[in-house]
Amino acid sequence: MFGEVSLKDPYEILGVAKTATADEIRSAYRKLAKKLHPDLNPGDKSAEDKFKDVTGAHDLLSDAEKRRRFDAGEIDASGAERPQQRYYKDYANAGGAGGGPRYQNASGFADFAQEDDFLAELLRRREQQARRAPGADRLYQLEVDFLDAVNGATKRITLPDGTSLDVAIPSGIQDGQTIRLRGKGAPSRGEGPPGDALVEISIRPHKFFTREGDDILLELPVTISEAILGGKVKAPTPTGAVMVTVPKGSSTGSTLRLKGKGVARRDGSHGDELIKLKVMTPPAPDAGLEAFLSNWTPNYDPRRDMQS
Amino acid sequence: MIISKTEFLYRAQTDQETLQLWISEEWIAPQGQDAEPEFSEADLARASLIRNLQQDMGVNTEGVGVILNLLDQIHSLRWALSERLRLKDDGAA
Repeated sequence: MFGEVSLKDPYEILGVAKTATADEIRSAYRKLAKKLHPDLNPGDKSAEDKFKDVTGAHDLLSDAEKRRRFDAGEIDASGAERPQQRYYKDYANAGGAGGGPRYQNASGFADFAQEDDFLAELLRRREQQARRAPGADRLYQLEVDFLDAVNGATKRITLPDGTSLDVAIPSGIQDGQTIRLRGKGAPSRGEGPPGDALVEISIRPHKFFTREGDDILLELPVTISEAILGGKVKAPTPTGAVMVTVPKGSSTGSTLRLKGKGVARRDGSHGDELIKLKVMTPPAPDAGLEAFLSNWTPNYDPRRDMQS
Repeated sequence: MIISKTEFLYRAQTDQETLQLWISEEWIAPQGQDAEPEFSEADLARASLIRNLQQDMGVNTEGVGVILNLLDQIHSLRWALSERLRLKDDGAA
């Protein structure tokens, strides 16, 4: 059905001849637009589809180059549709708010309200609603440090009007999460409560920590001897450095788990910190190591799995 | 959600001067202070309608005002009608 709609003949849709001039096309379009525009037909659901066909046909035929290519059979009528437009009627009818109290206009029926208790009651309630309508919500963006997001913090936003807003960042907040501060939005125009402030949080990356759900990931460089012989090394965690034991015979990719050193969960428990070891050779040639290794024959093949 | 004036001008594809005219004619009625008006999605949709009326249908400035006024009445009437029908149903039940 979709294809069928888009392939209708644009000349037929506008009701003009193939030889129509640009002026004739424009005037045919105007005539149809006045009749079919969805906002001028708020109760007619089919107007929107018809209007879409008409604007598509007009967009194609009002562009001389597109029209030439269409006439030459180089393109068809598809792809000529405008992006979906939101019509005012979709907002005006939402919840009876009339697209905002300022656009309401009861002069079309106020006289009936004098004779009809229902209508009188409606008008009274509507006025009351408009008066008690809360203020609008305001959206803010706040960038926080990785560790503040993990451990929690209080941040201050300075608003355009010079006042400021303290935002409590709960520990464990995630990137893209929104904090709602009740009553910190725009004031009501009438007697209603103010709206809310919505603070969207984005988290700056950390130099060496990354986060996967509730777990903190860390790549920890170790020396060859720490990997081979094992030992205690200092490792950072979000709450400060701790000593961890590197087991004897570790390799690059070996993972240590620090229970409870990850991100706080809602239920009060914590995720883990996962430390992935990375064996580092000396940054500069090391004569002692070279002398030692020249007498050593590895009895393992790290590329065994790659051989076919 | 609130739309700032800069975003409104961009999304409505219009300029400061035109917007000023729309506001002074009361075709668009933003909230907030005059220095920092706050627009809504409904205001944006109204701006598209105004553009459609002027550019696609050739309605002049006077005509736009008349049409918007009547449209606002129609929407209020439609609301009253739907509420009236709903209340009647409730009353019958």
